[in-house]
Amino acid sequence: MSGPRSVLLNMPLPAELAHLAAKEGVEVDRAWLTTATDLNLAGSYERVFLLAETDRLVTLALPDKSGRPATRICLARQSISEIRTRQGVGGGFLDALVDGIYVEVVAYSNARADVFHKTAAKLKSWLRGIQPDVGPEDDADPRRCPKCGMMLEFKGDLCKRCINRGAVFVRVLRMMRPYTGKAVVMMALVLAGIGLSLIPQQMIRVLIDQVLAPGQAGNLPPANATTWLLALVAALLGIHVVMAGIHMIMGRLASFVGTQITFDMRSRVFGHLTRLGVDYYDRYNVGQLMSRVAGDTEQMKGFVHQMTSGFMAQMITVVAVGAVLFSLNWKLAMITLLPAPLVVTAAIFFWKRIYPRYFRVWDANSKLHGTLNTILSGIRVVKAFGQEHREQNRFARSSGYVRDSFRGVEYTVTLFNPSIGVLFQLGGILVWFVGGQWVLAHDLTLGKLMAFLGYLGMFYHPLGQLTQLTNWLTQFLTATQRTFEILDTNPQIAEQDQPRPLLEKGGSIRFENVTFGYSRHEPVIKNVSFEVAPGEHIGIVGKSGCGKTTLINLLARFYDVDEGRILVDGIDVRELQLQQLRAYVGVVLQEPFLFRGTIYNNLTYGQRDATPEQVLSAAKAANAHEFIIRHPLGYDTYIGERGAGLSGGERQRISIARALLYDPKILILDEATSNVDTESEQLIQEALERVTAGRTTIAIAHRLSTLKNSDRILVVDNGQIVEHGTHEQLLGQKGLYYKLVKIQTELSREPSVDALSNRKP
Amino acid sequence: MTDEPTQPESESGPDPTRVRYLTPDSCRIHLGTHGALHVTVRDERIYGGVYAAYAFPVAYGDQFISLLHSAGEGKDVEIGLIRNLSDFPPQQADLVRQALARRYFIHTITRIHEIGWKYGFVSLDVETDKGRVQFMMRWKSDRAVDYGRRGKVLIDVDENRYLIPNLDALSPGERADFTRIIYW
Ligand SMILES: Nc1ncnc2c1ncn2[C@@H]1O[C@H](COP(=O)(O)OP(=O)(O)OP(=O)(O)O)[C@@H](O)[C@H]1O
Ligand SMILES: [Mg+2]
Repeated sequence: MSGPRSVLLNMPLPAELAHLAAKEGVEVDRAWLTTATDLNLAGSYERVFLLAETDRLVTLALPDKSGRPATRICLARQSISEIRTRQGVGGGFLDALVDGIYVEVVAYSNARADVFHKTAAKLKSWLRGIQPDVGPEDDADPRRCPKCGMMLEFKGDLCKRCINRGAVFVRVLRMMRPYTGKAVVMMALVLAGIGLSLIPQQMIRVLIDQVLAPGQAGNLPPANATTWLLALVAALLGIHVVMAGIHMIMGRLASFVGTQITFDMRSRVFGHLTRLGVDYYDRYNVGQLMSRVAGDTEQMKGFVHQMTSGFMAQMITVVAVGAVLFSLNWKLAMITLLPAPLVVTAAIFFWKRIYPRYFRVWDANSKLHGTLNTILSGIRVVKAFGQEHREQNRFARSSGYVRDSFRGVEYTVTLFNPSIGVLFQLGGILVWFVGGQWVLAHDLTLGKLMAFLGYLGMFYHPLGQLTQLTNWLTQFLTATQRTFEILDTNPQIAEQDQPRPLLEKGGSIRFENVTFGYSRHEPVIKNVSFEVAPGEHIGIVGKSGCGKTTLINLLARFYDVDEGRILVDGIDVRELQLQQLRAYVGVVLQEPFLFRGTIYNNLTYGQRDATPEQVLSAAKAANAHEFIIRHPLGYDTYIGERGAGLSGGERQRISIARALLYDPKILILDEATSNVDTESEQLIQEALERVTAGRTTIAIAHRLSTLKNSDRILVVDNGQIVEHGTHEQLLGQKGLYYKLVKIQTELSREPSVDALSNRKP
Repeated sequence: MTDEPTQPESESGPDPTRVRYLTPDSCRIHLGTHGALHVTVRDERIYGGVYAAYAFPVAYGDQFISLLHSAGEGKDVEIGLIRNLSDFPPQQADLVRQALARRYFIHTITRIHEIGWKYGFVSLDVETDKGRVQFMMRWKSDRAVDYGRRGKVLIDVDENRYLIPNLDALSPGERADFTRIIYW
């Protein structure tokens, strides 16, 4: 083979195996595809190679002692009628359909699953007689980190191994940039406060040594002493007053900056969350996200607080007081530091053993949120099945887990912190012991010793607090990291840098060989192609779970296709501005979601500036007007969470009206009238026909009578379009559609279904 | 292959709305061409390309095993359930066990040599029934899920599976190290 080669699909055979294979007649050099799996068909680890020659499929492995040939399986292309991959548990198989039976050709573990999905796709076109290209482009995989090759949780996810952690602090500081002025003032105040707090001990030293203690060398005469005493006391008072003032201003500033940064962070996180693709929400529990937005961002406030009165201030205090201690008496200062190594050891112990227990607490908390959220949003189901008691227990378990994990940590911490406290006191006791002897021996003045002990208090207290620094720091870093994680997740539905404008013309749709799967192993939509002309009315039918809604999700670009492309008016949807696309394509979702608010607000959700006249006519068309007007407050009726207070059909009708008001070029109705009675449906159909005239419409329905006015019907089965045509054509084909119609006609004697066979002018 | 009956599938075959239990009297499990697993159901037909799946892999290991026949993409049909594998002749039961072993590619962890945590990833060095393995898994609750009362299934970054059937069977040291990191 010439040309660039793929690492994964053009693997070289080991020399020994190549030699054996050649002896057995395998044309190793002429194989257009060679790849390896890690398992044999018995499910144990073994390196087995798969080769595709021009017209044979061969698997090869080094022979074991039994002396069987290197060729394990050899299938002629003519004998294979189909290739597929089949997902097992922890692995999968590549199967070939031979003589009507699926034969396992290769087994692989999930580590190799992607390679074999790709291989299967190549082999499929090979079966159809099209020689596929194999090249380096086959090695690229959007579901792996391009830097380290790690499997990502979903396309566009951030590789958790590659993100730069050190940058977190820098980013936090960068968020403070708009408040630089205030932050500088704040820090200046912190320094001033600490500087001032150092003075009183010096004054006490003077007080004791020079003013109070009589009979010592250098004492002042009694008359002067009284004046000095008064002056010193007044100065002390003054200093405390000034310090109080500083703290007041500092506290206000800190509160302002802290709350403001939290607010900024929250807005950013929330803004980003709304931009993230729908698939992000498939992975993350809403309760967990809520605790991130509400709780983790709160840490930003903590950060500012720590700067002014927490660890940052304490650190500066420790350094400043330490300097003063050394200048007072360096020998004593050294003694106070004797327990330091023990403290460091204790801190390391804390990091390694105690800190991990906090994980449990945070996990418990976020689980509690999740449980609460699930139970409360599903309260109707809970009540319907009479499971209040069970949910009470479930919640109690969750809540108990929080309690226990908190206790677990706090019990340990309450043991740990006092022990550390004793370590610190050790230093003070040593000072009393040594310094006291020096005073007795007149090597040290009493004032100095007292000042020293005073400073020592100022030194130890923050130092003791600093042992919690790691504790706070990790908590802060973890929370901030979690927040930044959201901010860094690429919206999987990426906006084009230079989107192409949609020309306001037809509203044509074209699917070209579209393949898509929610999870990486299972395509839900398989190589689907179809075209919808401007203004055409299309119906889509098919069994539940066959992929109808998925087609819509792709068209509205809630998800991006894996292969192929979708064109709207001749432009790939990925090249359009999302905003524009969504304005162009209006979707009535299968599960109508209404927000808490008035009916009017819900109706005008996509079109805030709609006039009351427009609202009325949309509601009328959706057959919603009559039931709305029956409510005492009419359109101003307040509805609860998810549309509580309305019936299923009423909710659907509101969501149809909402879409109509939006006035999209392409209207999509996914089971939009499934909960509406047949008579209302008839009315809605008529109204829809009026408003959808000239508008491209795609309607999905199980009730086939709903689609009787469609120009064309697509029948979807197992992710593929198996039939398409008008109602009559499809009936004539006697295929799946015919079968569905027959079943529905037998099931109900509704006139609308009977009308199926003689409808349409 | 010509031993396939030519009846259309929709006409013959199991009733899709009802559970059918396969017994040694009603069916025979054997190998056919290309080593594919076949099941012959008396008075019905021969099914080729059969695979087996546990209905309750955790709760009832050897019982309630489903035999499925792939009739095409997305069209797999259940031939029936085996209530208890030991009711079948050993040879046939072995064929089913092999089919299960193929479908369930799971490492069973017997010892934990080392477990470490770094930046949201857990690295493990373990002894398994398939030999010693090192792997990395995401440090997330859905990557280590409960298996029965005291077991865990770990899912690594490639989505391979590792089973710890019972945490209590590990040595106290290993268990402490494990639960310190995988605490849920
Ligand atoms: N968010 C999702 N994540 C993973 N799988 C999904 C998701 N949504 C749908 N699926 C799967 O994709 C397949 C197709 O689903 P889809 O919603 O398109 O079916 P449908 O044809 O609309 O069915 P129905 O008629 O019941 O609405 C199903 O097997 C479903 O389980
Ligand atoms: Mg659907």
